[in-house]
Amino acid sequence: MTDLQRARMSRGQFFRMMGGLAVAAAATACSTRPQTTTPTSGGTGAAAAVDLKFVGVADQKAPMDALLAAYQKVKPGVRLTASYAPTDQVQTSLRTQLGAGNAPDLHVVYPGNGSAMSMSQIAGAGLLADLSAQSWTGTIPTGFKPALQMDGKTMMYSAGSSVIGAIYNKKVFEKAGVEAPPTTWTEFLALCDKLRKAGVTPIALGAQTPWVTQLITYALVPSTVYAKDPAFDDKQLAGQTSFAQSGWRQAMEMYLELSERGFFNDKPNGTTFEQQISMVATGRAAMAVQVSAVLPDFRKSASSPDDLSMFPVPGADSADQVWIPAGVVVGLGAAAKGRNVEEAKAFIDFLGRQESINSWAKTISAIPLTQDAGSTIDPAVESFLPFTKDRAVPFMDQRWPNAEVQPVHFAVVQELLAGKATIDEALKKMDEAYQK
Amino acid sequence: MIKRFSALSPSWLFAAPALLVYAVVVLYPSVAGVLYAFTDWSGIGEGMSFVGAANFRAILNDEQAMGSLGNTLLLTLAIVVVQNGLGLLLALGVHAKLRSRALLRVIFFAPVVVSPVMVAFLWKYVYNPDPSAGLNGLLGLEVDWLGDPSVALWSIAGMVVWQYAGYSMVIFLAGLEGIPAELHEAAMIDGAGTLQRFRYVTWPLLAPALTINLMLSTIGGLKLFDQVFAATNGGPGYATETLSTVLYKQAFVFGKFGYSTAIALVLALFVAAVSLVQIYYLRSREVAQ
Repeated sequence: MTDLQRARMSRGQFFRMMGGLAVAAAATACSTRPQTTTPTSGGTGAAAAVDLKFVGVADQKAPMDALLAAYQKVKPGVRLTASYAPTDQVQTSLRTQLGAGNAPDLHVVYPGNGSAMSMSQIAGAGLLADLSAQSWTGTIPTGFKPALQMDGKTMMYSAGSSVIGAIYNKKVFEKAGVEAPPTTWTEFLALCDKLRKAGVTPIALGAQTPWVTQLITYALVPSTVYAKDPAFDDKQLAGQTSFAQSGWRQAMEMYLELSERGFFNDKPNGTTFEQQISMVATGRAAMAVQVSAVLPDFRKSASSPDDLSMFPVPGADSADQVWIPAGVVVGLGAAAKGRNVEEAKAFIDFLGRQESINSWAKTISAIPLTQDAGSTIDPAVESFLPFTKDRAVPFMDQRWPNAEVQPVHFAVVQELLAGKATIDEALKKMDEAYQK
Repeated sequence: MIKRFSALSPSWLFAAPALLVYAVVVLYPSVAGVLYAFTDWSGIGEGMSFVGAANFRAILNDEQAMGSLGNTLLLTLAIVVVQNGLGLLLALGVHAKLRSRALLRVIFFAPVVVSPVMVAFLWKYVYNPDPSAGLNGLLGLEVDWLGDPSVALWSIAGMVVWQYAGYSMVIFLAGLEGIPAELHEAAMIDGAGTLQRFRYVTWPLLAPALTINLMLSTIGGLKLFDQVFAATNGGPGYATETLSTVLYKQAFVFGKFGYSTAIALVLALFVAAVSLVQIYYLRSREVAQ
């Protein structure tokens, strides 16, 4: 018998040993930091009085990095740890945290309704803190209120709006002899034809990435639906109209016309968003219908950022009937049941200052929520500004009543492009999802 | 006294921490999941109500769920047949007296240790639709591997087989190593050729390995998620939706946690039923042989 086998342990020793192991395990677990964390500097090394956590999507990292550094100077006693992940992952982990009651103090929120992480869904569950007492909320433009407010209370912050249009390669346009962007649908088709004859793919489409599928219909529907009936959303909510009975059908037909006339790259359903960026940035394709918030991604891939610009996609044959989609960009909210609600709200108040709004909007090429002399508009989106006053509508999903319509829209567009569904079937599926 | 303290006997005390962890990490969520399947909980907030069997009835009328069941069964069938067929061939190959067999075993098993998500991202490059890139460039094809609804499901099966054929190979190899050389020698003396020795010696004695392989690959196929989610997210359209991606979307995209757990429960019971039938049939075959 070995010494180890002869060794005896009393019940008390056993419990003490297990207790010690448990404490050690707990201490180890508590000391683990998430790998994606980007802690801000702790100033002079003094312990922070308050620790805040923010979980956001990857698109928010660039604007937040700059503002976190600025906030550190304003409030050195607050340490804000931020982590970012792709939208799908954030949606999974954040909803789990929200469900379990341990959400971070601050987290990403999508404007309006229509997504599982949207303001209406989360605020409706009582999980977002009311920001209405903050001064910046008093200056929210009327058109943006439905996206940021519920029952008259401001529940989330956003730095401004982005637009959907055609991001194009100026050098490719020049080489093909295109002098000015089109202003009507007929001109747009003629442009695509000219580019194709010049040996370049007119429109890069990365429809394997689900959210990219929706952008062409979103670019066209303001002209085919809302220009004719600005109250379409209200009527659809009241059950007085539907996708199938509206200009959505025309928008789908226009989408398919682009496909049938060979204006997209080969095999769009097998092409990703990243490949789409590369095609336009390197000049293999002339343009891509995209949201302005990803303009920095296109610029990073281009040999010169100045090679790229944007124009509104004209969805009508009369220039004065062309409307554009302009939606509130993804923002953030404070957890209503967080441990540091007041400090979290104070950070959002800091973000609501005009200089913070300007900083955030500039980083993602957005149009600032409110503007002053220090506000800058990315030259690439200047051609959209004449529309923003009275010919712009929020992104369609922001007013859809549930989170099912948008994924169905993604799927039916992929089916249409693959020739596996008709427009009637596609719109019927969307109407069925809307009714749920 | 002995009876009074039997629950605190050293064997129970040593097992207690593991049992506690198992209860908290496995049992509690499982039981809670079963209960949520009978509610309309959205996954966030406290509002929920008991809806009886409504979620289970809804599954039968859910076109997407039923469509994904068909995809799941087709994927599972393809994976089980090809993965095990290929695994068996690889095992027979590296069981032979080759000088490089140790190296080949490592090479064939290597994909198994890679994360399924990483494999999916890697294969997205392999499945590049560009005729001059990836598999198309190598084979001179113009196939839209992940973008064509009639091809995408089989493309997913291909990447799963590539990753796990080595896993089946290892299990078959263990079975082959356990077959006594004397049996082959006796068969050779009786005049049996290579194919006859495989048919009458190797194949019957590989039955336990086959049972394990078929069961593991069936379970893996029925609950396939990572590769589909990372490669196609269920698309194009609904062409590669599996039961696992549907239940994920119901919970985290549509905010229908109760309905999602009902699908999960049905899936778990289905996997258990299929596995039990497999074990019963294959074990009886082992005994018969």
